Amino acid sequence: MTVLRPDAAPAGGADLGASAGLCDDLARASLALARRFAAGGTLWCVSPSSTFHAHHVAVEFVHPVIMGTRALPAVVVPAGADLVASLRATVRPGDMVVAVAGAAEAEVAEAMRRGPAWGTETVWIGAGPRPADGAADHVLWLDLDDPLVASELFVRIYHLLWELTHVCFEHTGLLRPDTCEEEVCITCSDEGRTAEVVSVDDLGEALVRTAEGREHIDTTLIDPPRPGDLVLVHAGSAIASLEEGR
Amino acid sequence: MSAESTAFLYPFIEGDEHDAASLLADLATSAAAKWDQSSRLRVETLEHLDGQLAEVGAVMARCFEAGGQLFAFGNGGSATDADDVAQLFTRPPWGEPLPARSLVTDHAVLSALSNDVGFDVVFSRQLEAHGRPGDIALGLSTSGNSENLLRAFAQAARQGMRTVGLSGYEGGRMADCSELEHCLVVPSDSVHRIQETQAALAHALWAAVQHAYRPEGAP
Repeated sequence: MTVLRPDAAPAGGADLGASAGLCDDLARASLALARRFAAGGTLWCVSPSSTFHAHHVAVEFVHPVIMGTRALPAVVVPAGADLVASLRATVRPGDMVVAVAGAAEAEVAEAMRRGPAWGTETVWIGAGPRPADGAADHVLWLDLDDPLVASELFVRIYHLLWELTHVCFEHTGLLRPDTCEEEVCITCSDEGRTAEVVSVDDLGEALVRTAEGREHIDTTLIDPPRPGDLVLVHAGSAIASLEEGR
Repeated sequence: MSAESTAFLYPFIEGDEHDAASLLADLATSAAAKWDQSSRLRVETLEHLDGQLAEVGAVMARCFEAGGQLFAFGNGGSATDADDVAQLFTRPPWGEPLPARSLVTDHAVLSALSNDVGFDVVFSRQLEAHGRPGDIALGLSTSGNSENLLRAFAQAARQGMRTVGLSGYEGGRMADCSELEHCLVVPSDSVHRIQETQAALAHALWAAVQHAYRPEGAP
């Protein structure tokens, strides 16, 4: 019988040291979460194949182990739920979604890519092969393949995420939402916003959901989208489908 | 330097602070320091407890060989570790699936016991219902002081179960609990760092069980 020692060096020769990249990513994710919490956002915790991680993240934020730190709204999306449908029904613009999951978990990827349309900030914690670029706002990733060592280090990652988020609360001046300082702001100038199709009528008008709320758009410039599809919206029209093959 | 030790030096700590770059740099530095601290604790504890892990793993393996099952329990983050343990034993990435259950998953049972009697009995009462001689009670606590764990160990001992505990600090009350046969202690005073190493200990314990497990005549 093969004996695998959890304290052995992970496959691939990597040691357990934190890469500078991971620490920088943790810092940016923590500030982003602190800003969203400060503005009233809720953290939705997702881990379809290891629900205990989602529960651990949630309890960390709701009932911190360090006395005197504030309780923050964090919720577990139950195991077995249709992840995308559950989140679609419950998240509000300004919320956050944190997933502890492998890059190959398709429903997690689907939930994450809807972040711009739902107005959610997304954090994806995992190990092994990385998700595609831009799969989430923050990708906190470990370059190792041993699932048990990875699982142990996920605990470390979300503990640090919690600790650093609370450090950010001491810096109230930095908790204001980002303001548009650049000359051309994609969000404000409506250059192209991601929207999720809610419904489509026979004339090509669609009701869509964006980070700013629901709106009616024209979809005649693209192939007819289906409910749930992501589209790029500019000046009241869908200008591109964000679904593969369409 | 950790973020805490430099916090008072920030030039814009007040509400008019605008430059996030220095904060982000300090956060990253703090993360790296805590990461290393956690890595050291993990490696040192696993090394220090190597012999005890093998011994407890062998004891647990004998229980499984004789048809026993494992009950895992804890509070808060440790409850999620109990779920992790139950999932790992029953659905391992390699090795033999072994019968294990978490005592924190049934909200009807947990709320009924808490409402009718009190949270101190949520694990002992379940062991009373499910536990048999030769089963294993595995309790996880960072403080080692959880009353419901101590009661569970006492109940398990009364029923002829084997008892294993994971604790932190200097072991807490679990270290002095006469009904707890094996207590594995993570020597730290940070709940987070203890929990991070306890996750590794739980996995190492599972590996030790797999190493010692010899299912003679198993179906």
